[in-house]
Amino acid sequence: MSDQFTTDPTKPAQRMRAGAMILPLSPWIIAAFLLCVMPFIFTNNSAITIMNQMAITIIFALAYNMLLGQGGMLSFGHAVYAGVGGFACMHIINWDGFFSGLPLPILPVFGGLMGMGLATIVGSFSTRKAGTVFAMISLGVGELIAACSVIIVAFFGGEEGISGDRTYGLPFFGVEFLQQIEVYYLIVFWLMLSAILMYLYSRTPMGRMANAVRDNPERAEFLGYSARWVRFYSFVASGFFAGIAGALFAINYEILTEENLNTTQSGIILLVTFLGGVGFFFGPILGAIVFTLVQTVLSLQTELWGFYLGIIFVATVMFFPGGLAGLIMMHVPALRLGKLGHLGVPYLKTLLPAAIGTLGAAALVEMTFHVRHAATGDHEMTLFWTTFDSHSFLPWIIAGVVTFVGFAITRATAPALVEAWNEANTPEGMSR
Amino acid sequence: MSPALELDGLKKSFGKTEIIRGVDLSIAKTERHAIIGPNGAGKSTLFNLITGRFPQTEGAIRLHGQDLAGKAPFEINRMGLSRSFQITNIFPKMTVFENVRCSLLWSMGYRYNFWSMVGRSRALTEGADEILQQINLTARRDLPAGVLSYAEQRALEIGITIAGGADVIMLDEPTAGMSHSETDYIVELIRTVTEGKTLIMVEHDMGVVFGLADQISVLVYGEIIATGTPEAVRGNARVQEAYLGTALEDH
Repeated sequence: MSDQFTTDPTKPAQRMRAGAMILPLSPWIIAAFLLCVMPFIFTNNSAITIMNQMAITIIFALAYNMLLGQGGMLSFGHAVYAGVGGFACMHIINWDGFFSGLPLPILPVFGGLMGMGLATIVGSFSTRKAGTVFAMISLGVGELIAACSVIIVAFFGGEEGISGDRTYGLPFFGVEFLQQIEVYYLIVFWLMLSAILMYLYSRTPMGRMANAVRDNPERAEFLGYSARWVRFYSFVASGFFAGIAGALFAINYEILTEENLNTTQSGIILLVTFLGGVGFFFGPILGAIVFTLVQTVLSLQTELWGFYLGIIFVATVMFFPGGLAGLIMMHVPALRLGKLGHLGVPYLKTLLPAAIGTLGAAALVEMTFHVRHAATGDHEMTLFWTTFDSHSFLPWIIAGVVTFVGFAITRATAPALVEAWNEANTPEGMSR
Repeated sequence: MSPALELDGLKKSFGKTEIIRGVDLSIAKTERHAIIGPNGAGKSTLFNLITGRFPQTEGAIRLHGQDLAGKAPFEINRMGLSRSFQITNIFPKMTVFENVRCSLLWSMGYRYNFWSMVGRSRALTEGADEILQQINLTARRDLPAGVLSYAEQRALEIGITIAGGADVIMLDEPTAGMSHSETDYIVELIRTVTEGKTLIMVEHDMGVVFGLADQISVLVYGEIIATGTPEAVRGNARVQEAYLGTALEDH
């Protein structure tokens, strides 16, 4: 024990500082590289549309997590700040005299400032208290501004929204943003910039105190910080980045409607963030990627994608409150012990049958939906590249058996997985 | 020299119940002052009044001669008063190091700064490490504070309380729920870290009180019935009556 105390305590710190320059940068460099080459891997236009959508959602989810994860504030109306930022940008796009002198890549700054301005006004009264009071005010304000969209038609454009043409801006080094791919790189630039800024923010005194206020507002007050002002500044910062996301939405789709700021949209961003995991910075990024894929790719396959998404969300909340990021980070101890490999086979034995069972269950759901909702006389449906008669017995039996057997095997192998999990998380030579 | 803390006719009622019934107290700079009294005497309420957790009903509280009326806890803290809590009150999800670093931020002038990196500041890191050394938690530096043992969490709380450089330190039952050896350890810790500062503490353990305090006030039913040196208080007839002579005789 005494040796521990006699060693120079500054040494490990110095060692960390030397390594600290390269290691934390690597995820950012990899991310930037990936974002740059993605359009060369997925070249078709619909893939780029999906990636644009994804990048915008990532920025919005990261901004939302500044509140939920970093600051412990549950907002039910955060789409308002993105939406209003987007509407403001749409108006700038339509303001010929001004927009013709403004390069499009600068536009998101205005969206951010608009979101920030609105957050300053709302935050001045909503951040007095955290918890339920804050959540209720956010919901109320969200509803209020969504209702304004049909009242203040001059700004929100009523039911048809506001649309414009992004290509009228001042050409940016000759680029007029006619092509999706040009917009992609614009969005990716803002994604990297916003993500880096939000990450750095979490390392500043304000970012640290946001965590402190989240965990224990009373203690933070006795350290000289007003919990209310800490919440307020987090809220304003989050509003700024939400506004940037809204601006990018305006640039990408060239139309904004009430749907961009209503409570459904606010609910979706909460879902995305929670699905990804609020406890880690990269959680919302994962959430946004998975959600966008489910929303775009799965929605092409089935009308019931919202149903599946709901199940995924409920399962996440119930079984993995840390979200996808938490699920990944759960494996770090095993990785540190060098025993991650021990989990491979047990995982395969349990998760593969579970996946097959899930597909079987999904088939049952789809067939039920088809029987109930297809036009009368239309008995033919296609599922998993197979066309069959949804009113005959055989497909039902097959799907039922696959589901049952899949889940039965999962259940039978689960104890072995738990055993393997415990083993992989126990240091060598230590008994449990 | 004005006293570090002065209470003047302080009263507090919750509804019709008067918990603090007119307390006058003057605590000099660098004094170690213990407030004792039976359960329900209002000791914690008195603490909460001084630190701005509750507003007082009547009377005045002055810190270094400045009236604290209407001040929020964070403002009182900025004026140089820091407190610990009866129930351990730390940031359990943060590391031990971060707990201390957070408590240094305001006093090091960072305020609501959102442009400098806390990890880059040598002064912050060294300051926090120094406090960790004082409270002997250097070995626990990078653990989440929530996993520390009870005594270690109490030590950390004292570290957080002193870290901001406040010159008036208020400790609410710092040794509650501790074993004998842990108590001895914490008492020594309090003695060293509050060197040259004004210490005000509520404590039940008479061994701690008589070992640490220069001055003792006895609070009974919201009134101070005696203030003085440990010897004087021990000999006071009213105090002996309040305590039925039992607790004090052992020491």
